[in-house]
Amino acid sequence: MSSTDFDMEDIVSVSESSENENIERFLTFISDNITFGVSTNHVIEIISTYMIRPLPMVPGYIKGIINLRGMVIPVIDLRMRMGKPAEEYTSSSCIIVLEIDEVTIGVLVDSVIQVLDIDVTKTTPIPVRDNQELASSMTSLEDGTVVLFLNCEQMIQQ
Amino acid sequence: MDSSVESLLDAYLFETNSLLMDLDGLLINAEKSESLSQDDVNEIFRSMHTIKGSSAMLEFTSITEIAHHIEDLFFYIRENGIDSLDEKHKKDLFNLMFKSTDKLREEVQKVENNEPLDDNIEPFVSEINSLLKEISGKGDSSSQASAGGGASADASSGSASGAASAAAGAASGVSLSLPETDMPYLIHVYFTEGCGMEHLRAFMLVNSLQEMDMKPFFYPADIETNPETASYIIENGFYLGFPTEKDLELAAKTVDQSQNISSYEMIQNPSFKAEDSNADLLVSAPETGASPTAGKREEKKEASPKTQSAPASGGSKASGAAHHAVKQDLISVNLSKLDALMNLVGEIVITESMVTSSPDLKGLKLDNFMKSARQLRKLNSDLQDISMSLRMVSVSGVFQKMNRIVRDMKQHLNKDVRLTIIGENTEVDKTIVDNISDPIMHIVRNSMDHGIEKTAEERIAAGKDPQGELILSATHTGSEVIISISDDGRGMDPQAILAKAARQGILTKPEEEYTQKEILSLLMMPGFSTAPEVTEYSGRGVGLDVVKKNVEAIGGSVTITSELGKGSTTTLKIPLTMAIVDGMEVSIGGNMYTIPLANIKQSFKASESDIILDPAGHEIIRCMDDFYPVIRAGEMYNIPGACNTIDDGILIWIESTDHSYCLLVDSLIGEHQIVVKPLPSYLQQFHIKDYGIAGCTILGDGNISIILDMNNIYSASHGYY
Repeated sequence: MSSTDFDMEDIVSVSESSENENIERFLTFISDNITFGVSTNHVIEIISTYMIRPLPMVPGYIKGIINLRGMVIPVIDLRMRMGKPAEEYTSSSCIIVLEIDEVTIGVLVDSVIQVLDIDVTKTTPIPVRDNQELASSMTSLEDGTVVLFLNCEQMIQQ
Repeated sequence: MDSSVESLLDAYLFETNSLLMDLDGLLINAEKSESLSQDDVNEIFRSMHTIKGSSAMLEFTSITEIAHHIEDLFFYIRENGIDSLDEKHKKDLFNLMFKSTDKLREEVQKVENNEPLDDNIEPFVSEINSLLKEISGKGDSSSQASAGGGASADASSGSASGAASAAAGAASGVSLSLPETDMPYLIHVYFTEGCGMEHLRAFMLVNSLQEMDMKPFFYPADIETNPETASYIIENGFYLGFPTEKDLELAAKTVDQSQNISSYEMIQNPSFKAEDSNADLLVSAPETGASPTAGKREEKKEASPKTQSAPASGGSKASGAAHHAVKQDLISVNLSKLDALMNLVGEIVITESMVTSSPDLKGLKLDNFMKSARQLRKLNSDLQDISMSLRMVSVSGVFQKMNRIVRDMKQHLNKDVRLTIIGENTEVDKTIVDNISDPIMHIVRNSMDHGIEKTAEERIAAGKDPQGELILSATHTGSEVIISISDDGRGMDPQAILAKAARQGILTKPEEEYTQKEILSLLMMPGFSTAPEVTEYSGRGVGLDVVKKNVEAIGGSVTITSELGKGSTTTLKIPLTMAIVDGMEVSIGGNMYTIPLANIKQSFKASESDIILDPAGHEIIRCMDDFYPVIRAGEMYNIPGACNTIDDGILIWIESTDHSYCLLVDSLIGEHQIVVKPLPSYLQQFHIKDYGIAGCTILGDGNISIILDMNNIYSASHGYY
């Protein structure tokens, strides 16, 4: 068992730090071909190749628990949380450790892209009612990619 | 400033709470013997005095007032002896005292919760005063006593203070004149500029001197009650007077150690030694700093050698010093620090086995390393023992509380019950002590309210001692503490319980299938209450289920045994500590699970052909001439890769509190000491605890093992949830 932690600095895209207070920093990642964004305020770290201890008697999307330097953290497969079938993990899959309202969870995603500064006033609500409510709003980037913002509070609900 | 007030407040709360607790214990014992000894009276007097002083310092007026009036009351009792009170007065006195400690505790609680204090305590105070009036027998003496109350602490030097207040008017105008007193030795104290509340600081100083058995004269005399004196003290300083040189030296030492004092000087009263009064009067002149009678704070070294031998002389002072020495052996530590220590020790235990069983060492011959590793293991286990013992406290505090509850309920319900306490010195983890107080209280109330017969006649008719008995006991058994609460009351009627449970629709199988034990455990189902009516104390229907939940939350269990007409016993089995457990590692489907060693009776191989099926299809196996149900762990949890046949796996005979059964697992790995970690809070919402997944632990190789709760596994597998 080994862990290779990404250094956050490595994937931060160089951007002139704007004084604009509407600008927030987001980590973008891909799960099931959807690009998601999550505020870096929630992100503790990103880990990969971790051994997950499966748990009985929990929903399938909870892959189990991991031991992160003595801390026991549950891991949620975002793809399965969205109701999609499970897929093999690849070398690019990794766990984003989030802290939401003092609850620490690991979210298993397909790959991590980068850290972006996004103007939060330019986001729009999702037009279609998402019955999972995992994403609260969306925005489109300059290169045309659409980013859905992960609804963190919803993630820690059942 | 804020942090210093905070730490002051912390110290205040700790001190006041422990004083009130001691007081409660003292009162309970005293009430039993129906009298107060002189020591008790002094003790109460002292406690109230301390509470009054420290509350006044922090400006908690209501607490100060109450303590002050109780002090008055006990001042009278101290002077006149407890024997001057007749039976009725004594009873009133005890009731009043219990009420007062409750009131004080309530106020202190408010301080703790940052709530505003009660600003109308008049009725309460007048209650105290009226009792004082009553016991003193004459109307005028009460007013006299309460008037003297302000100075009651220095009552024996009352004449001196009287003289001083007479002199106050004359002295206040002249800044450098000494107060008139018959004390030959004086100390003139200046407080640090801007420290605030000088009069109360001065009062605290007087207080601490009085605690050293001194009776100092002080001026201004009305520091306690008159805030105006603060400005006088700022301007002119504060005077203390002593009858002997020895007292003076001792006091100087105390003053020296007090906070917020900028300077002090020792002066000889000029009215005693007129010849050198001129020199002594030069109080603020710089050259007096070097004179032998002056001890500025900066000249600590000069002052202290002189006073070093002082505490040893004189019997009472020696005992006072010894008392202080004992006190210094104990420190109060924040529980969170102990928690942190315990966690750290847990991590060390894990890391140690990570290091010593590292796969990198495989196949290497490392004699020296192994020797050191063994040494490390021994030290670690010592460390673990010590850090665990730090957290151990006796249950006496909780038991004492019950004394009080029984006393109150006895009066309220008009039942004659005696409480017998056994093994109150049994020690358990602090967290556990905090958590068992409520459950025990609940059970005691239940027993008092419903268990013990309503009238003595009823008891006599049943051939019992008219006085009911409640036994509260605590004993150690290896890794558990057993606390039992038994009464010799009516006992419980299984049929009534069953009928009631049927009415409430909480039965899960036909009535006739219930065993006695199962019927009694129905009492602990949510929403169950046999009491036909709700009383102040119990019978609201939220009762034993909460007890059960609380006890289970700390890893314990509750059982009730009862015999109709003879009484009932509630037994709490509680682990000594929740942090470290001896466990057996087993493998199911390639993953590790931990079974608490305490639950395992035996493990054995069997074959599929040994299984007997009951008509409902439940599997049963014969073991040691008895039959036990079989639970296949892999099947129950749906674990892929777990062994399917009895032949491939191994059976573990489990004995949990309520059930005995055999659990099928793949293989046994080994015995370990494990550090219990709770499951992440996120997972609580899936109620996996109900399925027997109690927590987890990190093994030496960094892997996680899941700790199984043997009781819940059985319940879950039999569809109780």
